[in-house]
Amino acid sequence: MGMSAEPLPPPLAGFGSQGYATTTLDALINWARTGSLWPMTFGLACCAVEMMHAGASRYDLDQFGVIFRPSPRQSDVMIVAGTLVNKMAPALRRLYDLMPEPKWVISMGSCANGGGYYHYSYSVVRGCDRIIPVDVYVPGCPPTAEALIYGILQLQRKIRRQKAPIG
Amino acid sequence: MVMTDGSVDEGQELCEAVRARWPEARVSRSARGEVTWSLTPDTLLSVARVLQGDPRFSFEQLMDVTAVDYLAYGKEDWVTETATATGFSRARVAVQAPAVHPPMGGRFEVVYHLLSVSRNERLRLKVVLSPDCPPLVPSLTGIWASADWFEREVFDLFGILFEGHPDLRRILTDYGFIGHPFRKDFPLSGEVEVRYDPESRRVVYEPVSITPRTLVPRVIRNDARYQNTDPGKKEPSHD
Repeated sequence: MGMSAEPLPPPLAGFGSQGYATTTLDALINWARTGSLWPMTFGLACCAVEMMHAGASRYDLDQFGVIFRPSPRQSDVMIVAGTLVNKMAPALRRLYDLMPEPKWVISMGSCANGGGYYHYSYSVVRGCDRIIPVDVYVPGCPPTAEALIYGILQLQRKIRRQKAPIG
Repeated sequence: MVMTDGSVDEGQELCEAVRARWPEARVSRSARGEVTWSLTPDTLLSVARVLQGDPRFSFEQLMDVTAVDYLAYGKEDWVTETATATGFSRARVAVQAPAVHPPMGGRFEVVYHLLSVSRNERLRLKVVLSPDCPPLVPSLTGIWASADWFEREVFDLFGILFEGHPDLRRILTDYGFIGHPFRKDFPLSGEVEVRYDPESRRVVYEPVSITPRTLVPRVIRNDARYQNTDPGKKEPSHD
């Protein structure tokens, strides 16, 4: 419990002393969802290196329950880390469609946000939100590992505000 | 090699060896010792074979194949010779000066970079394509295997055909791509862009929606920094 970076929602806080706790199902489900965001590994360019830094020992994304998965079937969030080109766009959409609900998308870096440096290029998609819906945009070229972690924390805040539909 | 007087004669021996073997060769050596040989497509194959096989040259490796499009050579997108008193944006004019073709050539040049590991020598071959024939060059895949993908790349980006290539298809651009993007007459933003269409539930291609623009930096080249190197002379103020 002490290792968790996310404090438990207030209804669960008295669990240790009271022996039981009451909470809403929404809070419980969102607590589980925010604590186990498994990203689909989708490194496309130099942003992917910063994403690796975020996952490596110094910044340690594992502490947030963020564990990279090699398969869309096991993933909750897709981090689009890098330049999305026209040729890759159908593959990106296919992988997004393969992810089970609920799913979220983090657009990492200028290129994924809006084409960035390659906005006027003949081969680059001017923002990955032309292909898939995006929840959090992380600015930067590339964003630092801290910026990506901040984006993940923002996504956790967003999920916590959501009503968790059952069934 | 550094000479006794401190000068560098890098490439000198190679130049002489090429001239001894091919007396009519248009081979030149830059100040940094880079050796460049300009030739025509019809001689390329026989020359390459000797350069690879002859022990005097023994260029075992083909390091790179690329091309140059001289369509816009000598043209300027912006003329920004002088600044004005009314501000930077008035100082530039979009111009299209008449094209100046490179000496003796047509629109395209195919460039090969060779490396001899055993002799520690490098050689650049420039194949100049004449203006009145299709962009066709013999393939070097039979001499250096690395030419295979290099030539596919040049074909993809410049549309230059390599005669005798075993599998000349696009290597980089999108499936079904039309045009050759590194040609100077290819629009920077291309012809199509993609988006996901929720109705047909797939990624669709549409004509580009953004307006074309010049991305050449608009630099004033003749401003005060480059004038008046004499400290005693008073510089007229531009402000």
